[in-house]
Amino acid sequence: MSGFLIRRLLQGVLSIVGASAVIFVISRLSGDPILIMLPNDAPASLIEQTRSSLGLDKPLWMQYFIFASHALSGDFGSSYRWQMPAITLVLDRLPATIQLAVVALGFSVLLAVPFGVLSAVHRGSWLDTLGKGFAMLGQAMPGFWVGLLLILVFSIELGWLPAFGHGSPAHVIMPAIALGWYPVAAQTRIIRSAMLDVLDSDYIRMGRAVGAPDRALIWKYAFRNAAIPLVTMLGVYFAAMLGGAFVVEVIFAWPGVGRTVVEAVFARDFPVVQAGVLLTSILFVTSNILVDLSYGLIDPRIRHDR
Amino acid sequence: MTNWRAGVLAAGILGLPAMAYAQAPKPATGSLTVAYAAEATMLDPAKYAAGVDQYFFGQIFEQLVRPDPNLKRINWLAEKWELKEADGKPYLDIHIRKGVKFHNGDPLTSADFEFSYSRLRDNKVSRWSHLQAAVEKFEVIDDHHFLIRFKEGDGSYIADNLQLWAMPKKYFEKVGDEEFAKNPVGTGPWKFVSRTIKEEIKFEAFDDYWNKEHRPTVKNLTIKVIPEDLTRVAAFKTGAVDWIDAVPPAMVEEFKKMPGVKTQSFVTPNNLYLSMDAIRPNSPFKDVRVRQAVAHAIDVDAIIKSVLRGQGERYVQVGKGSMGYDPELKPYPFDPRKARDLLKQAGFPNGFDTPCYNLTTPREPNVKEVGEAMFAYLSAVGIRCRVQGMEYASWVSFARRDRQGGGEMDGLYSNMWSHGLPGDPGTPWAGHVHTYVPGAGWGIVSFHSDPELDGMLEELKRTMDIDKRQALIMKIARLKHERVAGGLPTYRPVVTFAWRDKVEFKGWPQPGYWRQMQEIGLKQ
Repeated sequence: MSGFLIRRLLQGVLSIVGASAVIFVISRLSGDPILIMLPNDAPASLIEQTRSSLGLDKPLWMQYFIFASHALSGDFGSSYRWQMPAITLVLDRLPATIQLAVVALGFSVLLAVPFGVLSAVHRGSWLDTLGKGFAMLGQAMPGFWVGLLLILVFSIELGWLPAFGHGSPAHVIMPAIALGWYPVAAQTRIIRSAMLDVLDSDYIRMGRAVGAPDRALIWKYAFRNAAIPLVTMLGVYFAAMLGGAFVVEVIFAWPGVGRTVVEAVFARDFPVVQAGVLLTSILFVTSNILVDLSYGLIDPRIRHDR
Repeated sequence: MTNWRAGVLAAGILGLPAMAYAQAPKPATGSLTVAYAAEATMLDPAKYAAGVDQYFFGQIFEQLVRPDPNLKRINWLAEKWELKEADGKPYLDIHIRKGVKFHNGDPLTSADFEFSYSRLRDNKVSRWSHLQAAVEKFEVIDDHHFLIRFKEGDGSYIADNLQLWAMPKKYFEKVGDEEFAKNPVGTGPWKFVSRTIKEEIKFEAFDDYWNKEHRPTVKNLTIKVIPEDLTRVAAFKTGAVDWIDAVPPAMVEEFKKMPGVKTQSFVTPNNLYLSMDAIRPNSPFKDVRVRQAVAHAIDVDAIIKSVLRGQGERYVQVGKGSMGYDPELKPYPFDPRKARDLLKQAGFPNGFDTPCYNLTTPREPNVKEVGEAMFAYLSAVGIRCRVQGMEYASWVSFARRDRQGGGEMDGLYSNMWSHGLPGDPGTPWAGHVHTYVPGAGWGIVSFHSDPELDGMLEELKRTMDIDKRQALIMKIARLKHERVAGGLPTYRPVVTFAWRDKVEFKGWPQPGYWRQMQEIGLKQ
C-alpha cells in the first residue's frame, strides 16, 4: 500500500511540475502583457521599465526558474491587474468553486445512478427511454444556455431562486444544475452498461434462484460492483467541473476561480493564470489519487496491500 | 461661446463657487443595491489601470475640477484656479475649498494634493507618471493655495481635469500602501465599507460630505458585479437590484416600455474609428481619394440604427460637447457611387483586396458586428475585405508601432481611443494621427504621416490656453476630416441605465462614466 501511495504521489508531483512548465510557456507565448497594463500613450521608457520591474525582460528559462523557486514557498508573484498576491486572489475564490463543483457532481451522480440502474434493470422499457432521454438532454444543451433557461423559469417567472450571487444554499442550486447536468448522460451510460454486465453474472442469477429480494440484489450486490467504473471517473469529472465552471460562474456571477483565471488569461495576468492553473492541477492530481485509493473501500479484491 | 468655455470662465477663472453647499442636508436613510456589468480592480486613484477602475474609486475620491451632468466643467475641490505665466513658463494657480474633510475626519489641505502629485509622478506607483512629465515643480503657498509650475505647456493637464485626486497624506503615511488599498479614505460622497472581489462593494454615505446640495440621500449602497447581460437584467426584473448599468442594446426598447421603470441613455467617452494603412509604400490607402472612398462607402447611421439598436452617437472628428466641437463639420454622406468613382480616379477601377482586422472581444457592445458591417459595406464598393478577427489582447498589441516581433498593420483596422468626457482629442490624436516617432510618444498607433498636421498637433500638446486650444482643435479637425487622416471616425457608444421609480438618480459623467453615484436616493 505504501509503495503504491509513494508511486502515485511521485507521478502526481511530476504531473504538476509538467503542468506548471506548460502553462508558464503557453501564457508567455500569448504575448506581451505590458501593452495591456499601460495606457496607450505610455512612453517607451516606461514600458521598458515596467517590463524590467516584472522580470519579463529575462530569458524564459530564467523566468521559469525564478517562478518555480518562489512557487515552492507559495509565492506566485503579484497580480499585474489587481496588484495583490496572485495566490491570495485564487485561494479566496477557491472555496466557492469547490462548493459549486461538489454540489454539481453530487447532482449529476444523484441523477445518473438511479437512471443508470433503472435503465439496466428495465432495459428497453419506457423507464429506460425516459432516463436516457433526460440524460441526453443535459448533454445536448450547453451549460450557459441551461443556466439562462433556469434563471428565466425559476428566478424571473416563478421567483423561487436567486438569479445570481453566492452565500445561501439557494444560490448554489441553479449553478450546480447548469454545471452538473452535462455529465449525467455519460455517467448514466457508465452505470447502465456496468449494471448490465453485473446483472448477467452468475452470482446474481444464483441470488435470484435462491429467492433473494430484487432490491437487495440490485442495490447491495450488483450496484456495488457496477459503481467501480463510475468512481474511477469521478475524479476526472470533478476536475473537469473545476476547470469548466467558468461559463457557469459568469452566468450566475459566482465568485469562483474559473472566472478569475479566464479573465486573467484575457488580461495576460500571468501570475494569476499560473497560480490558478497550478492549483487546479494539484486538485486534479489529488482527487485522482483519492479515487485510486478509494477502490479498495468499494472492492476488497483490489486493495493495494495485496 | 460653448458650454465648455462658459463653464470654465464662470467657475474657474472668475472664481465663482460652482455649487452652493451651505444648505442643511436631509439625513441619508435606507439602503439600495445596484448592479454594474464590469468590476474595478484598483481602489487607489494613483494606481488605477483603466477607466473601469473609476467605477469604484470614483465614489470615494474627488478631483479639483469635474464635468457636471450637462458636461460643463465646473470647479469641484478647487474653489478657483487660473492659468498664469512667469518667465515664459506656464503655471496653474489653484485655491482649494476650505472645510472639506476626508472620511477619517482629517481636513483637506494643499499637502494632500502635493502628496497626490508625488505619487502620480512616481512610475513605481502609477501607470500615469508620464502625464506629470511636463510639471517642473509643485509649490505649496498655504494650506489652501498651491501652484503647479510647468517646464513647458501641457494641454493634457487641462483636458484631464487638472489630473490630481485628493489623497489623504496623513492617513496614508500612517497605514501604508497595503492597508490603504484595503481601506481607502477620500473626500467623496461615499465612505468605503467592505469589498468582496468578483461579488460586491459596499459604501456608506459620508455624513460630513462638503457638498450639501449634490449628495446621495440613501445611507447604504451596495454595488453588485454581474457581468452577464441577461443575469443582470434578471436581477433587476426579480427586484434583487433596483438600478443597473449597461442594459443590453437589444433590450433597451423593452426597458423603456416597462411600467415603473425609468431609463436614461448616455454617450460614453470611447471614440471608435477605422484606421487605414497610409504609410506603407504600396498601400492603396496612401491615396486620399481611396480614404475618401472609404468614408463615402460606409453607412454609419444605418449601422448605428440596426447593429447598435441606436446605442451609438455619430461624431465627425470631435464629439458633441467636447473641446473644439464644430457643429458645421458634417460627416461624409453615404454614397457608394461616389466611392466607386473615387476608387476609379485613384487607379482602382476594379477595386482591390485588403486585410481588414476586426476586434472580436465585446469591449463595447456589438463591436465585432459593427466591424463586420463596415467591412461588408467596403466590399460592396470594391474594397474587398479579407476579415481577420482578433481577441482583445492581440488587438491591443497589434496596432502598436513599438511592439516587439514582426508584422505590421497592412490594411484596415477597427480601433478606438477615448477622447474622454466631456472630451478633448489632444492625446488620442497625438497617438493615432501624428507620424510615428520611435520612443517619443508620438503616433504610437498611427498609420499616417502628414507634416502639416504633425506641426499643429505638437502645438496643441503645448497649448494650455482654452481659447487657443479650442481654435486649434477646430482647425486640425477640418484638415483631418478633409484628408481622412489618422482614420475615419465612426461613433461613440451610448450606454443605457435603468432604475425603478422608487429610485431618484441623476447621472454625473465623471468619474466612472455616468456611474458616479453622486446623486442617488430613494423617494421619500
